Amino acid sequence: MTRSADVVIIGGGAIGTAVTYYLAKRNLKVIMVEKGDIAQGTSSKCDGNVLIHDKLPGYDASLAKLSQDMFPGLTKEIDYDMHWTRKGSLLLIESQQEMEVAKEFCRKQQEQGLPVRIMDQYEVHEDEPKLAKDIIGGLETQCDGSLDPMALAYGLTHGAQKLGAEILTYTSVTGIGLNSDGSVGKVITDKGEILTKNVVNAAGIWAPEIGAMVNLKIPIKPRQGQILVAERTFPVARRKVVEFGYLMAKFEGDNYQRSVPPEMVEYGIAFVFEPTHANNFLIGSSRRFVGMDITCHNGVLKALAQRAVRFFPVMKDINVIRSYAGLRPYTPDHMPIVSDSEVPGFYVAAGHEGDGIGLSLITGKLMTQIICGEQTEITIDPLRLSRFADENVSA
Amino acid sequence: MNDKDLLVCRCEEISDEEIREAIRQGARTITGIKRRTRAGMGLCQGRTCQRLVARILAEETGMKPEDIDPGTDRPPVKPVSFGVLGGVAND
Ligand SMILES: Cc1cc2nc3c(=O)[nH]c(=O)nc-3n(C[C@H](O)[C@H](O)[C@H](O)COP(=O)(O)OP(=O)(O)OC[C@H]3O[C@@H](n4cnc5c(N)ncnc54)[C@H](O)[C@@H]3O)c2cc1C
Repeated sequence: MTRSADVVIIGGGAIGTAVTYYLAKRNLKVIMVEKGDIAQGTSSKCDGNVLIHDKLPGYDASLAKLSQDMFPGLTKEIDYDMHWTRKGSLLLIESQQEMEVAKEFCRKQQEQGLPVRIMDQYEVHEDEPKLAKDIIGGLETQCDGSLDPMALAYGLTHGAQKLGAEILTYTSVTGIGLNSDGSVGKVITDKGEILTKNVVNAAGIWAPEIGAMVNLKIPIKPRQGQILVAERTFPVARRKVVEFGYLMAKFEGDNYQRSVPPEMVEYGIAFVFEPTHANNFLIGSSRRFVGMDITCHNGVLKALAQRAVRFFPVMKDINVIRSYAGLRPYTPDHMPIVSDSEVPGFYVAAGHEGDGIGLSLITGKLMTQIICGEQTEITIDPLRLSRFADENVSA
Repeated sequence: MNDKDLLVCRCEEISDEEIREAIRQGARTITGIKRRTRAGMGLCQGRTCQRLVARILAEETGMKPEDIDPGTDRPPVKPVSFGVLGGVAND
């Protein structure tokens, strides 16, 4: 059967479902195509943090804040429980050297008007009594929140369907047909064709494959992360807690060395604690380039557990019931691609690395504004695909 | 108590009706049901309820039991403490 649509969205993860929802709100005829079930890719193999605290002061933090502030409204707008909570987050400071970096980071974020502050040793232990005694302070971000990432994708899908969007699951995009003038004409799937002038590539780590269908290079690489799932237990900490060194692991900071065992550096380990709505908690994080492999590496699991006990000694006797790995859609400059392209009608919304849940809503909104030819809420210059034009990418 | 309230997953307290609702929402695999309801995500990791969930899926969709993907097993096979896993149990 041949369908037609104003816009076709490829990919049903957090990004594709958000783009679909915001486009559907404009009364456009949209069809989302997902090769499997909703959220079967990275969006079900991640945490659900919606954070400012790990964003560099400046554009990165502004973009994250715009997105974060959309969540309270969205979770009211859509009749689906996404388990959204906003309890803030805490970065743990281990050394005087980290404290200096943290103070500077905090000052810059405060200048941007973000609700962050430094906690001293006394205060941080009052706040989280089960912390290892040698932690010397913390950086609190009051506005940070979290939700269930799969429920976000299911909820956005549900909301979009109510607005008339068509959702095709278990349908793979196999090609994109261009008109003689080089613009998008149709999307070809294993279940038939869809005539359309606009297509959004929201295929996460598979975005390069979709890009190749129109001869576009998209420099996204999978960066693996593993998670340990704990049994249901007493509250270890009341909210999201992360080691300050996480920022260093994320941005591969070169002028700063953490004093940690070598395997922590090799596996890109940084302690991340996330309590869930089911009264258990998740422990991350690791960062490795291992291609499309989503099996868990034992050395990484061991290092994650070790790092967790270092910050919360009480975890020693708590059980791990499961582990999993996901692949972050990484770009060379750690910023997502939310952009049009040199192929008229072909758009990209992918490459959100470790922030695709938090940045999903602003991505949906910006992509809608780009497609509708409107002024975007915030400049998209740092998000353009063309910024990689000079790079010798091997996607 | 009628069938609807019957608990399928006891660890997470997920009822028969909740499993069926997840299938109505589009779940076509055991993993898809798990992600929507948490059935099989608790302490026993689905060892008890997985076959029951598969039966409901077959019933609701007409899929053949042998075509149902059993889902992925993830380490550890049995719960293990953070201390033992991290090699820091006897500090
Ligand atoms: C361990 C870990 C922890 C994380 N924690 C957080 C966090 O706390 N907060 C946060 O904001 N982010 C976090 N992230 C990052 C976040 O998970 C990702 O950025 C986000 O899920 C990416 O969403 P996506 O929609 O781009 O990709 P995906 O969810 O992978 O969606 C892409 C979809 O495209 C589909 N697809 C691919 N090819 C085709 C085709 N040919 N036809 C049709 N469909 C196709 C796939 O099946 C897939 O469902 C984490 C990631 C990991 C790995």
